[in-house]
Amino acid sequence: MLQRNRKRASLHTGVIARSLLACLYVAAVGVGFIWYKNQIHRLGDEIRKHEATLAAMEKRNAMLAAQLAQLKSPAYLEARCREYGLELAAPRAGQMVRVVEPTAAWEAQLVRTIWSERSAAGAQRNLMVQQ
Amino acid sequence: MTLSNLQIRAAVVVSGLSLGFSVLAVRLVQLHVLRHEELRAEVARVHGQVVHRQGRRGDIRDCRGNLLANSLSTHIVTADPQVAAPQAVTIAQQLAPLLGMSESELVLKLTRGGRYVRLKPKVDIETAQKIRALKLKGIGFEDQFARSYPTGVLAAHVVGFVNAEHHGVQGIEAAMDDYLQGHAGYEVIERDRKGREIRAWRTEGISPRDGYHVVLTIDQVIQHIAETELDKAMAAHRPRGGVIIVTRPKTGEILAMSSRPTFDLNRPGNCSPDARRNRCISDVAEPGSTFKIAVVAGALNEGVVSLDDRFDCENGAFVYAGRVLHDAHPYGVLSVIEILFHSSNIGASKVALRMGAPRVYKYVRSFGFGRKTGVALPGEVSGIAHPLSKWTKLSITRIPMGHEIAVTPLQMLMAMNAVGNGGRLMRPLMVKEVLDGDGAPVAQYRPQAVAQVIQPRASILMTSALRKVVEPGGTAPKAAVKGYDVAGKTGTAQKIENGQYVNRYYSSFIGYLPAGDPEISILVSLDDPTVGGYYGGTVAGPVFREVAEKVAQYLGIPPQQLEPEAASIS
Repeated sequence: MLQRNRKRASLHTGVIARSLLACLYVAAVGVGFIWYKNQIHRLGDEIRKHEATLAAMEKRNAMLAAQLAQLKSPAYLEARCREYGLELAAPRAGQMVRVVEPTAAWEAQLVRTIWSERSAAGAQRNLMVQQ
Repeated sequence: MTLSNLQIRAAVVVSGLSLGFSVLAVRLVQLHVLRHEELRAEVARVHGQVVHRQGRRGDIRDCRGNLLANSLSTHIVTADPQVAAPQAVTIAQQLAPLLGMSESELVLKLTRGGRYVRLKPKVDIETAQKIRALKLKGIGFEDQFARSYPTGVLAAHVVGFVNAEHHGVQGIEAAMDDYLQGHAGYEVIERDRKGREIRAWRTEGISPRDGYHVVLTIDQVIQHIAETELDKAMAAHRPRGGVIIVTRPKTGEILAMSSRPTFDLNRPGNCSPDARRNRCISDVAEPGSTFKIAVVAGALNEGVVSLDDRFDCENGAFVYAGRVLHDAHPYGVLSVIEILFHSSNIGASKVALRMGAPRVYKYVRSFGFGRKTGVALPGEVSGIAHPLSKWTKLSITRIPMGHEIAVTPLQMLMAMNAVGNGGRLMRPLMVKEVLDGDGAPVAQYRPQAVAQVIQPRASILMTSALRKVVEPGGTAPKAAVKGYDVAGKTGTAQKIENGQYVNRYYSSFIGYLPAGDPEISILVSLDDPTVGGYYGGTVAGPVFREVAEKVAQYLGIPPQQLEPEAASIS
């Protein structure tokens, strides 16, 4: 009788333990599923917010681009120059000095001129020393 | 066998649970299987929504990427009068300064009944945010794009504008509408109880596609130079209208195209239809003496004349086919160079007579007259070049002086470009490329030669003759640009009104520089100048000089002749 009771007690403990494990498993799966779903929603919400931010920034960017274009337009710049009396304008042809790129012949001529000037100065110095 | 208490209790619990689960199962089957479609539709109706999103219309930019047109996101401020009406006065007081409307007008709209009323369209984002912050009941917003033209009147005829449906109706807006137009998309979404989208439940959708950006060959600085000088000429000579076109002869690229009168692109409705007409491509007129270039170039190309050949200009009165042809001043015997130099009508007619009508007609057509140039702008006309079969006996003496033929300013400039460009007639190029949102090219447009009208030798001969026009004693010394080698031709064409020539004129000058290797060509034409003369050389020549000098400096075209002081400094 005692032995039978001991057997029944050990059977009950095993069943309860298995049941608890099964319940825990089911609960864990349920919580995991909910957590996972929650993550999806949170991520979706974040995406939505970022999309809205991006759209707002694109709108603002277009508006600023139009403003910048207006500020950069030659007519606007000219008007502002007039307003502030800056008298800024492109130089006229007569106001410009154009420098010709030196050619080899021109450089040779320059060297000859410098040498002839130096030799003339040297000769004059020698003459003065002799005197 | 009797059941123990425990067994009875267990049986009751199991039965109860079974019954409960059975009820639940039946209910689930009813909801998910039997009434599935009905309930699904109900949920979709309550929470679901199909949101249509419009793609942004593409930008129009100049050749350096400066913005000429773009689309701005704006809002339409709406109201639900049923909700807003009880506080109409308070709402109107708060909205009136922000919307720029009167309170009485707003109160009227808020109390007119119904569930929807538009208070104001095209409200900018910042104003909309201010209104949102007020948290007014019954006030809503709808997205809307508004076309913006930051440079206002600049290149108005080229850029064009859109209608209320955002479709281009003029200029590049119309010509490139297919590229510029954004494509709408949609999304099927669900909203929560607060009306926010549940992003994770977005089921299907097609993203909207923004329109492509169109890059023009127009340079906004050159366009500004042309328009400023044209405005000055309009003020100085008081013509009915005027045009200036600047191109690159070698490629046919149009750097500037201005037409007067003009209009503000941001308010296209506030002007007459006449001001919206692009005279560069849609107005035809007899070209006058500028047309001599086509006939003389043809004669030189055919070898019918040389520059030194001499023609008797009959002292200003030449009788042909029973009619007298006059020159502005009487001339005796002139060489071909002198015919262009003095712009002798009789001389040009005699050159044409030596060529013969069929060959004159051949060159009229070869230079592109009587057909559209193919510029990427709507509203271009072909002009009038009568077929040879319709020529009268007089035609061969009248066409060389630019009568009995009607051309557009652009046609005339492209013909002059062919003369300066070694005889190659180019197709005018207005659109450089089409870009997608990332700046990658979708389409690129290359210079396109239409025909080799005259041989390079004839082109060189013509250029040497046209150089003389801007020299002292020529018809346009005022068109000479200091330091630059300029070739050009004046035109003073009498206008026709009610079928008769009247004392009103089209004054024009077309020229290119540097003459030996042209970088730019410019056409200036004024319709009926009433102050300060009417000869092309007197009226249009100085305008040409001003534009040419500034454009040459801007583009860094080196001068051909250095001034003495500059040369000595160097």
